Amino acid sequence: MRLYEYEALDIFEQNGIPVPRRGVASTMHEALHVAGEIGYPVVLKAQVLVGGRGLAGGVKTASSPDELKEAAEKLLSSDIKGLPVLKILVCEKIEIAKELYLGITIDGYSGKPIVVASTEGGMLIEDTAKTSPEKIASTHIDSSFSFYPYQARALLRRLNISQQLISSWTDVISQLYNVMMRYEALICEINPLAVRPNGGLIAVDAKLEIDDSAISRVRFPLPDRIERIENVLERRGKEIGVTYVDLDGDIGLISSGAGLGMASTDIIGEKMRPANFLETGGGITADLLYKCMELIMMKPGLRAIFINVYGGINPIHEGAKGVVRYIKEHNVKIPIVAKALGNKQEETWEIFRSGGVHVVTDAATEKAIDRLYELVGRG
Amino acid sequence: MSILMNNSTRVIVQGITGRIGSIQAHWMLEYGTKVVGGVTPGKGGTIVEGLPVFNSVQEAVKETGANASVFFVPAAFVLDAFMETVDAGVKLIVIVPEHIPVRDVMKMRNYALEKGVFALGPTTPGILVPGVGKMGIMPASMFAPGRVGIISRSGTLSYEFAGILSEKKVGQSTVVGMGADPVVFRNLVDILELFEEDPDTDAVIVVGEVGGEQEEKAAGFIARRMTKPVSVYIAGRHSPQGKRMGHAGAIVRGASGTVAGKHEALRAAGATVLESPIHVLDWAVKHNLK
Repeated sequence: MRLYEYEALDIFEQNGIPVPRRGVASTMHEALHVAGEIGYPVVLKAQVLVGGRGLAGGVKTASSPDELKEAAEKLLSSDIKGLPVLKILVCEKIEIAKELYLGITIDGYSGKPIVVASTEGGMLIEDTAKTSPEKIASTHIDSSFSFYPYQARALLRRLNISQQLISSWTDVISQLYNVMMRYEALICEINPLAVRPNGGLIAVDAKLEIDDSAISRVRFPLPDRIERIENVLERRGKEIGVTYVDLDGDIGLISSGAGLGMASTDIIGEKMRPANFLETGGGITADLLYKCMELIMMKPGLRAIFINVYGGINPIHEGAKGVVRYIKEHNVKIPIVAKALGNKQEETWEIFRSGGVHVVTDAATEKAIDRLYELVGRG
Repeated sequence: MSILMNNSTRVIVQGITGRIGSIQAHWMLEYGTKVVGGVTPGKGGTIVEGLPVFNSVQEAVKETGANASVFFVPAAFVLDAFMETVDAGVKLIVIVPEHIPVRDVMKMRNYALEKGVFALGPTTPGILVPGVGKMGIMPASMFAPGRVGIISRSGTLSYEFAGILSEKKVGQSTVVGMGADPVVFRNLVDILELFEEDPDTDAVIVVGEVGGEQEEKAAGFIARRMTKPVSVYIAGRHSPQGKRMGHAGAIVRGASGTVAGKHEALRAAGATVLESPIHVLDWAVKHNLK
């Protein structure tokens, strides 16, 4: 679960990291009120869960109530990369002498947390790695998950910075690592971590992503995981326990695995356009596939449906019953093609056929999608 | 004849008294796997699928001579059961469940590496050696004996590739699911190395997906060390940036983990990049695989 910047800043602050004075607003009047309390100038930042917000026009400065009104109204009526801006963060404007980068993430390849520090803040760390690798220092954290201040100091010494900065930055690293551990985070990032003219450090941005698999054991309050999903269909998917990703085409998809689902959208995308990605994982029942049909049919303008399932961990004959029940109850007229292989495949085919589903028995998904294309064409 | 599993592999099923554990124990036995028992703490002394159930892994190993274990344990209990299994001396462990906290996976991975245990997963369909046995959930009907190795990050796509090949009488030596989480127990390179050294594998298919850097990191090994032909398919070219495509590890962040980046690295290493799964048949014909 990715947290909004304003939520992450609250958590960073509770863990001792210096952050700007701020407030969150969902209307222009609220923004005006917050700015009045903080004092001008202020920075307004669109709260959306997507990167590259600054370049997309999601950050504005206001030096007076008039400027603020205009900026707030503009932001609150805009979209950033397709996401509506429902909230803005109003922050005191910080005077910045230098921008740094600090991130703690999981290095999947080594299977260890990694701390990354750079004297080049405010840009993507991947870009700095390409252009000025000498300005980045990183260190892995061992399997005991203990990280001591001396390790942070050793890391920072490699960046040729002042003793004073090493010492204040070390404090922030320790505090951020505490956040990582307490919140079961996958990503904790401050970019930029600003150096103020007096030498003090302050986090003027905050990124925090929590491990979905560990949310139930985090002992600190967290916002609701499902409520924050902005897309209605994707939220409904989470509610019924499947992964739904909204795409912009008109061929619906139900698959029983993530890899198979991705390959299916890739193959559909060769000649037609997928309306969605949907994967059930290992929990197929008749009821679940009934609900999956309901979900994908919520998308307007579907021309056809492709069902691609394997009977490995999943009882696909049960799933087929749910699909057929939906077809009969809702008198579904658009063509449905199913490829269903593995345990109990013959029984599954029988059930699908009883609902008028076109069953393809070839092993390759391409053959099934060829059949679908024969039925509905390019569209 | 295979990697990781062979005729002397004796398997216990952890979580055998659960709904999925008992069904999968049935399918594994039916495929001819030497499943010798099960473990569920508190259910020792019962019988499932004709197999004795034990309270502890240590007891199961002592009574049955088991040397491998497959997990159908609820995610929250996997860490504890894994440590118990390693301490009982089992050297091959397959972790089928998904949604295990990443921090638990890192702990298990470090401990397994320290103790010389080969573990696969989490979120893996397991291992299948055609004609010999399987540990995990792979549906037997998709596979046929032969000389092609398959390594897959995705369960369902490992079945898809095996099925496409089997339909054309190209069999497999071993099929390995490496797991689909952001951190897995063994990296792609470790499994490629086993196939390179296996005298009964002639060529290897790698089935990857967007996210992470497993495929990129394997490119160096493929270039330097692999003498056998390698073909690679990467799923997810239509995945929008920042969206998790079902698997916890399948997410494109910024410019990293994209299909294009993986293709470029693998092509440069000399691997054959398959644009669509069915193209694996052309590759099999070209290398005269069976």
